[in-house]
Amino acid sequence: MDELRNYARELLEKEEVAAVIGYQQVTEKRTKPIVITDPAETSRLVFNEYCLNNLAVYLTKARIRSLMRTKDKTMKLAIVAKPCDVHSIVALIQENQIHRNDVHIISFNCHGVVKDFGCDFNGDNLAAKCIKCETHKPLYFDKIFGEEKQTPKAGDASLEKINELEKLNSKERFEFFKSEFDKCIKCYACRAVCPLCYCQRCITDKAIPRWIESSSHQRGNFSWNIVRAFHLSGRCTGCGECDRACPMDIPLSLINRRMAMEVKDLFSFVSGRSLETPTLVGNFDKKDSDEIFM
Amino acid sequence: MPHLAEIREIIDESPDTRTFRLMFKDAGTAESFDFKAGQFAEYSAFGDGESTFCIASSPTRKDLIECSFKVYGKVTQSLQRLNVGDTIGIRGPYGNWFPLDELKGKNLLFIAGGIGLAPVRCVIENVLDKREDYKNVSIVYGARSVSDLIYKQEIREWKSRTDVSVIVTVDPGGETPGWDGEVGFVPAVIEKSAPTSENTAVILCGPPVMIKFTMPVLTNLGFKDEDVYTTLENRMKCGLGKCGRCNIGNVYVCKDGPVFTYAQIKKLPQEF
Amino acid sequence: MSFKMEEKIISKDDLLKLCGDVIAKGHTLLAPGIAEYEQVKDVSQIRLDSSALPTKTSYKSYVFPKAEPILYYKRSKSDVQLIDVDVNGKKIVVLGAKPCDTNSINILKHLFNWDYEDEFFNLRQKHFVIIGLMCSSFDEYCFCTSVGSSPVSEEGSDLFLIPINEDKFALRIITEKGKEFIEPYSEFLKDGDEAKSNAVLESIKKPEVAFDSKQVHEWLGDNFENPKWEGIGNVCLSCAQCAFVCPVCHCFDLVDEDYSYSEGRRMKNWDGCQFGHFTLHASGHNPRDIQSKRYRQRVNHKFRYYVDKFGEILCTGCGRCSRGCPVSIDIKEIVSNCKD
Ligand SMILES: Cc1cc2nc3c(=O)[nH]c(=O)nc-3n(C[C@H](O)[C@H](O)[C@H](O)COP(=O)(O)OP(=O)(O)OC[C@H]3O[C@@H](n4cnc5c(N)ncnc54)[C@H](O)[C@@H]3O)c2cc1C
Ligand code: SF4
Ligand code: SF4
Ligand code: SF4
Ligand code: SF4
Ligand code: SF4
Ligand code: FES
Repeated sequence: MDELRNYARELLEKEEVAAVIGYQQVTEKRTKPIVITDPAETSRLVFNEYCLNNLAVYLTKARIRSLMRTKDKTMKLAIVAKPCDVHSIVALIQENQIHRNDVHIISFNCHGVVKDFGCDFNGDNLAAKCIKCETHKPLYFDKIFGEEKQTPKAGDASLEKINELEKLNSKERFEFFKSEFDKCIKCYACRAVCPLCYCQRCITDKAIPRWIESSSHQRGNFSWNIVRAFHLSGRCTGCGECDRACPMDIPLSLINRRMAMEVKDLFSFVSGRSLETPTLVGNFDKKDSDEIFM
Repeated sequence: MPHLAEIREIIDESPDTRTFRLMFKDAGTAESFDFKAGQFAEYSAFGDGESTFCIASSPTRKDLIECSFKVYGKVTQSLQRLNVGDTIGIRGPYGNWFPLDELKGKNLLFIAGGIGLAPVRCVIENVLDKREDYKNVSIVYGARSVSDLIYKQEIREWKSRTDVSVIVTVDPGGETPGWDGEVGFVPAVIEKSAPTSENTAVILCGPPVMIKFTMPVLTNLGFKDEDVYTTLENRMKCGLGKCGRCNIGNVYVCKDGPVFTYAQIKKLPQEF
Repeated sequence: MSFKMEEKIISKDDLLKLCGDVIAKGHTLLAPGIAEYEQVKDVSQIRLDSSALPTKTSYKSYVFPKAEPILYYKRSKSDVQLIDVDVNGKKIVVLGAKPCDTNSINILKHLFNWDYEDEFFNLRQKHFVIIGLMCSSFDEYCFCTSVGSSPVSEEGSDLFLIPINEDKFALRIITEKGKEFIEPYSEFLKDGDEAKSNAVLESIKKPEVAFDSKQVHEWLGDNFENPKWEGIGNVCLSCAQCAFVCPVCHCFDLVDEDYSYSEGRRMKNWDGCQFGHFTLHASGHNPRDIQSKRYRQRVNHKFRYYVDKFGEILCTGCGRCSRGCPVSIDIKEIVSNCKD
């Protein structure tokens, strides 16, 4: 921990970065985000199995971006990112939301995080994304800490659920999602936590014409959740933040993961894994399969 | 439940501002709809929603209710598509009003900018219909350009009266070749005309920048903050003190406003 | 209003029979599930667990629905016809409401009835019967005791349950409405011992008082501008999770939506002050343009404005907003920090 704190303090003191976006401990089994501009505050930084948030979401926030510009120069933002959060940063770079030279990625060798605050860290409580994680070492970073450790073993309940849904006929599947979406209260927490939902004006906020009814009744909810899933397909990196944020426990990442599987099968593309390959949508080829639109 | 009203007449005030003259469909409502100068209403274009406008006509002329609106977004665009004979909804009247009774026996100085003339016009007409209750009445009205001036017809009427002084001005660059009014920003025009602050109340409505630069001028001329009345226009939905978006501190603009004295405004949290 | 509390005893089995009857009569019976107060279809669903933490959402949506039509319209060539909405005034019984929920409707009542009386809210509220249940555990987010309530508060309950042992509850009749509701079931009731159930209430561990709400009120008045707001504004993500799960947040939007070429309805939908466009003017001007101002509004509305207007804090201390916040913003911590 001291390594991380010292490193972050130096970055700020040497004015290499304008701010460090990281985690601070709240209770024994909970952390929360902190945006640090004062070098003295770096003593609060932590990194552990309770660092659930995907901090990449802050990289596109106007308030945070405005910290980068001082009177006489522009500085980078440093961000503490798990290897999976790095996927989101990669996706943001690829979609031209942030420049690689504007972020300083501090990452870790990661062996997983808990599914929710307050749990003990073990196989039963491993976050769904960690169960299927293939990148325990970050693909891109400017600084890396921590030693490699074994991730606890766990069964992939979310994949089982997807397979179960696959077995249903389309009407039954539709019913399942309809009953889940019915619960939606349109709090937009799912959108707020998503690093890739960075649109300045989301389509749901557009009133002329109104594409998506703002009411949280069946029709309004269905169009919102489906539009969001489609807009994220091929872009969602699978960080699972929307799932975690949803107060109504709607299994949003089931859809996103299913979409990602489809995209991987059809286009051999996984979002946020490489700075060299272009984005899926940006590279749409007429020869590509159009099955996904059906 | 909104009352239904028919559009009797449409007046194009400027390229982006329109006035509706409205008649309630229900005779009982027309009779009982009572309001005071400065109050507002919620007007609906069914299918697109409601918008807040002040009631621009005077309570002393109750035959037709008028509202003027600048076309911005969803509802105002939808209203713009309507024709004479079409039906809209009206809820109201809401909010407080200019204390015209208290102002009796005083000189009145009206200052308005742009669409801000809409709420002021209602007061002006109310005052003109009870002219003997007030001393000198002067009006200073400014807009960005000649074509942005609204209520050209009414202004002509006011100008033709001998008991009102009217100054109309446009921002520098906004004048046309035949323009016979002043050229200059409202604060500068007021500074030049130097109205007396003696026993005078000011009614001031316009864009925030205009208010910001007019206030120091008025203060220099000796006007007290509590003699300057203005309106605040926060985003509103319900008009009933419930939906929660119009508050400034514990003041609900839709209930406790929209009319405030400048002294009251200064005391509010600066968040508007 | 001065109803004299009556102390009774009811066995768990009889209580469940009573619930069965409520369902059989076609009333809505709500009981805490995990995410929300669920409609009980079968009494075997009922847990009546005084140690459960508050559900993720409250039962607010049953008095103030998340999306409800307030009028229907029909357009023909140039005419419009308006059709009233029939509010269904079905009886709703909440069983096992948490003490940090029971008073929520009373708090909301002020807002929905000052000046204009909201008939939708009032009709629904009239048909509500609230059976509160003493609460026997809390977590780091609970702070009912700091806002004038407590885990044993009967405030807002029509009937109040106190577990005496495995299969018996003390049942207190708190209001006239509660008495009316329980009358038909008097065969289930035996006279209770107030001292005995008071002893249970006293033995309950309560969250420590985290702040003095009067001091907070004062501090907020003096600190409209304070760098503390900025720190929060940097981290908060501007969603409305906190407002929508809150039992007493009440902001709404009004929108028209057509469902055919000529017909549609006007909807009243939940809205929240943390959304950026909540106060956005058509001209583009926004009085609360940045998140720090919006969070300031949230805290001020709850702990200052509402108190000034209606004499009550707009918060029951349930901790839902904090428990559910995706970035762990803790209102108790923030309000506790509202001091120099
Ligand atoms: C007291 C008072 C008096 C006023 N008097 C006048 C007057 O006399 N004349 C005048 O011209 N103006 C007046 N205004 C201003 C006027 O109310 C607004 O200009 C007008 O409402 C703009 O409406 P719009 O539909 O064109 O704007 P829009 O911005 O399109 O808003 C229309 C509706 O669309 C929805 N909407 C828009 N954007 C969003 C979004 N991002 N997310 C969700 N929903 C959205 C909302 O439901 C909104 O109500 C007054 C305002 C007040 C408060
Ligand atoms: S998904 Fe992988 S990188 Fe992300 S937290 Fe889990 S184990 Fe670590
Ligand atoms: S977080 Fe859940 S409840 Fe909120 S808008 Fe998203 S899906 Fe709906
Ligand atoms: S405090 Fe938390 S729940 Fe509320 S708007 Fe901010 S991020 Fe969302
Ligand atoms: S503000 Fe938070 S703690 Fe207070 S009542 Fe609302 S949800 Fe509960
Ligand atoms: S805190 Fe915000 S959302 Fe909640 S009632 Fe107050 S203004 Fe409305
Ligand atoms: S407009 Fe709804 S509270 Fe003022």
